[in-house]
Amino acid sequence: MAKSGLDIEARRRVVAWILGAALLILAGRLFQLQVVQHEVYFRQSEKNRVRVITLEPPRGQIYDRNHRPLVENLPCYTLSVLPHHYRGREDLLVSLASFVGANPEEMARSVRQGQRAEFLPVKVRRDMPFELLARVQERWLDFPGLVIETEPKRTYTGMSRLSHVLGYLGEVAESELKALKDQDYRTGDIIGKTGLERQYEKVLRGRRGYQYVEVDALGREIRTLPMEKWIPPSPGLDLVLAIDDRLQAKLESLLEGKRAAGVFLDPRNGEVLALASSPSYDLQWFAGVLNPAVWDSLVSHPDKPLLNRVTQGLYPPGSTYKLITALAGVNDGVFSPESRVSCGGGLSYGGRFFACWYGQGHGSQDLYGAIAHSCNVYFYTMGMRVGLERWARYSRLLRFGQPTGIDLPAERAGLVPDAHYMDTRYGKGNWVGGTMLNLAIGQGDLLTTPLQMAQLAMVIANRGKGFVPHVVKALENPLTGKQMPVRVDSFVVREIRPEVFEVVREGMREVVNGAGGTGRGCALGDVIVAGKTGTAQNPHGDPHGWFIGFAPYDAPEVAFCVFVENGGSGSGAAVPIVREVLRLYFDEVRVSAPAQMAAAPSRSLSSLAR
Amino acid sequence: MGHSWRYRLEHLDKPLVVATALLLGLGLVALYSACAQAGDSPWAGNFGRQLGWLALGFVGFVLACVVSLQLLNYLAYFLYGVSVILLVLLLLFGKGPGVARWLALGPVQIQPAELAKVALVLALARFLSDTTTDLDRTVDLLKAFGLALVPMALVAKQPNLGTAMVFGAVLLPMLFWAGLSLSSLFIIVSPMLSFVAAFHKVALVGVLVLVILALVILRASPRKIVLALALNIAAALAAPMLWNQLHDYQQQRILAFLGLKQDPMGLSYQVIQSKVAIGSGGIWGKGLLHGTQTHLRFLPAQHTDFIFSVIGEELGFVGTMAALCLFAFFLYRCLKIATQARNAFASYVVMGVFSVFAWHILVNVGMAVGIMPVTGLPLPFMSYGGSFLLASLIMVGLVANVSMRWDEY
Repeated sequence: MAKSGLDIEARRRVVAWILGAALLILAGRLFQLQVVQHEVYFRQSEKNRVRVITLEPPRGQIYDRNHRPLVENLPCYTLSVLPHHYRGREDLLVSLASFVGANPEEMARSVRQGQRAEFLPVKVRRDMPFELLARVQERWLDFPGLVIETEPKRTYTGMSRLSHVLGYLGEVAESELKALKDQDYRTGDIIGKTGLERQYEKVLRGRRGYQYVEVDALGREIRTLPMEKWIPPSPGLDLVLAIDDRLQAKLESLLEGKRAAGVFLDPRNGEVLALASSPSYDLQWFAGVLNPAVWDSLVSHPDKPLLNRVTQGLYPPGSTYKLITALAGVNDGVFSPESRVSCGGGLSYGGRFFACWYGQGHGSQDLYGAIAHSCNVYFYTMGMRVGLERWARYSRLLRFGQPTGIDLPAERAGLVPDAHYMDTRYGKGNWVGGTMLNLAIGQGDLLTTPLQMAQLAMVIANRGKGFVPHVVKALENPLTGKQMPVRVDSFVVREIRPEVFEVVREGMREVVNGAGGTGRGCALGDVIVAGKTGTAQNPHGDPHGWFIGFAPYDAPEVAFCVFVENGGSGSGAAVPIVREVLRLYFDEVRVSAPAQMAAAPSRSLSSLAR
Repeated sequence: MGHSWRYRLEHLDKPLVVATALLLGLGLVALYSACAQAGDSPWAGNFGRQLGWLALGFVGFVLACVVSLQLLNYLAYFLYGVSVILLVLLLLFGKGPGVARWLALGPVQIQPAELAKVALVLALARFLSDTTTDLDRTVDLLKAFGLALVPMALVAKQPNLGTAMVFGAVLLPMLFWAGLSLSSLFIIVSPMLSFVAAFHKVALVGVLVLVILALVILRASPRKIVLALALNIAAALAAPMLWNQLHDYQQQRILAFLGLKQDPMGLSYQVIQSKVAIGSGGIWGKGLLHGTQTHLRFLPAQHTDFIFSVIGEELGFVGTMAALCLFAFFLYRCLKIATQARNAFASYVVMGVFSVFAWHILVNVGMAVGIMPVTGLPLPFMSYGGSFLLASLIMVGLVANVSMRWDEY
């Protein structure tokens, strides 16, 4: 043996101690991992192998009042990825994006967002064509963590387009995600963006379910865990609309090619029978993946096809608003319906000349005649007597300057100017002059939506009673077929006496049926129609044409408003459209008298809105 | 000399053989589980091949048992030479995935590096037991280093840094066992500290001061202190150069292990998954074939480098402790035999074998539990890999051989 400072026994001890210490460290570490921290690692291992598969509920379908399907679902295939497989693998993500034809930057962004919850798949490509689906499956192993999910895609089956009413769907926006934090929305989810899809999102969407599957490290499913661990999805409720698809299609075809709006209500319950805004667009463009070029053209189009003119268009109502002046004056006894005013084609006031639309003058006439002929001079005169404050108060009594509360999103309130408003806008004392003259005939700063005008027609038709207009009649459970009617809110304008409404109604009957009435074009013969035309001056071109009214005169079933932007005149542009729609209504569609509201518990519109 | 076989068999260290057999059995169980996949018969794949290697290894064990110590001593340098030539050939003609580790020998592929471990143990044992060798002579010390450095450099060149370090890990304990003084040993080890500290100036100065202090306490001669300082400074200068020589992935691994780089799904993925597997096993384990990490392939290299994680997940703390105790017992028997052997060559051989096994076990288990860097060293008797299994059984054979002939001079 070589000489050594230590004898062999001592060397053995040194080696044994070093080895023993090292083994003890390992044993201690194993104790720490397997006994002390066991829980943590066990949970980690469970998360590793179990993946949650989301079971998307079918979105509720939409039917018209006769249960004709308007919106249905088609299956479409969505490609998702498990984000943790792509952490720090931008190159792989780029090649995946180019393979499936997605925008690599967008894909990278959504995958990054998804990494916060790394075991939930992130949707990267929607609505894959079948052929691409097959190619993806061929290259399944080239890209880790792929998941294919089936999602429903909207398809539109009605005769009418109904684009503004139904609305479209889109991917939930970052801002919406924050607002809906507690409602189980995730990046890439589809949400109603406009129309009923937005208004009834909560109802239509249903509740998603979850299924648990065991996967391997490549994300391939090994087996599905037992059923009792599932949370089944519950489908969204179907909507049954008050809209009649035939009437709607007719109205849309009549408005086509114009910038126009039309709405037909049932004055007995506020149901919307038809509601159209033109120009419109094809909702099918929004199903699946929206072509950005289509979107850009819709947004930049000067005629604003995305705008729902019925609820969001603000216009001066013109002569149709003379009815408010009449209601205010007669109800407060400022003048009687028999008061006569002589029209010589115009009126001088404050050094300015205010013309009647009929330059030769209407001669001497009472209120009925003035409504029938839409005489400006009569209403200039009466408007001055009514005064701005009373006029503004009656405007608000008849629900102008506030949304009607229809079950469509983003309804505009319009504008009823009063002294306070005029002072703020023009400065005290700078506006008094002829302001009231203009407002009395529906010109000036006054702004209304076509829906508010239809509401006015309904209230007059009912002699003061009104219902909140609503598109959706009932919710239907798709599994049981059971319908739950929505609750309809109503109101009564008690401040105006029924006799006063009667006066205005009579005037409106003359508009259509009297000699020289401005709405004679709408006389149907078998059904008595009452209405009021309007021709609103505006700084943007030809006057807008309006026609509001109701029919039949004695027991109104329809209240309507048709508006044609720069249509020239009410009698020329709007009256013929109404005539056609009413013809179809009375010939074919005619809605039977509404049954008494069902006693079943119903849900109010406001409780359904999200 | 000249005892009957019956006499020798009586002296065969049975506990050593039993411990080996138990470790092999536990290893096969873990390997079976790691190789068993839904629908596949494990017998046809790696598990079946491992059984074949085990049979070959048994032959190697018996041969190593019966060969006389004199013959081994005589052949030591020859075998060493052959293994070095094989390593050179490997660098010239070898094949493997990205790295050259395997050499085709007829129908089987072998890793010459594994057999070189045995050859180095024999060569060092012969050199250190040579009566003309004096470790206090610097020349002889350098010769011993040279013996280890040649295969080490050749293996590092493959590149296989983990295995290359085994050659160094064999040298030091054998030198100590051969009687090198603690101060000399310290002079040899301390440059490694400087090597690591070289990346931080303050740390380097601290290490140099500590080296001088330690040598003074160990009453080293001034000549030795100067030598130690020179070696340390040389190591510190060489460190950045060698660092740049490292492959990118090697640098990354070291950085990730030192916590200088965060990359949970990348390089340290293996370690995280291994810790999850072991930790999730708990006290009793998930049961054989029920390890989810193992069977869903979340564990990388589960049948080779990370076989210990399979034991941890499926057999729990009980299983890992059993394995660790068996290993400890096995090493204890080796140490006992090395101490009892009257023949210096035999004693050094056993010490060399002890060092190889101890290093493999500590590094591999340390890696699986996340306290050692990922170096890719197999776990003796358990990891899949024919060459190492063969080499291991030959080495156990050598120890058994010495236990039978402990009284021979």
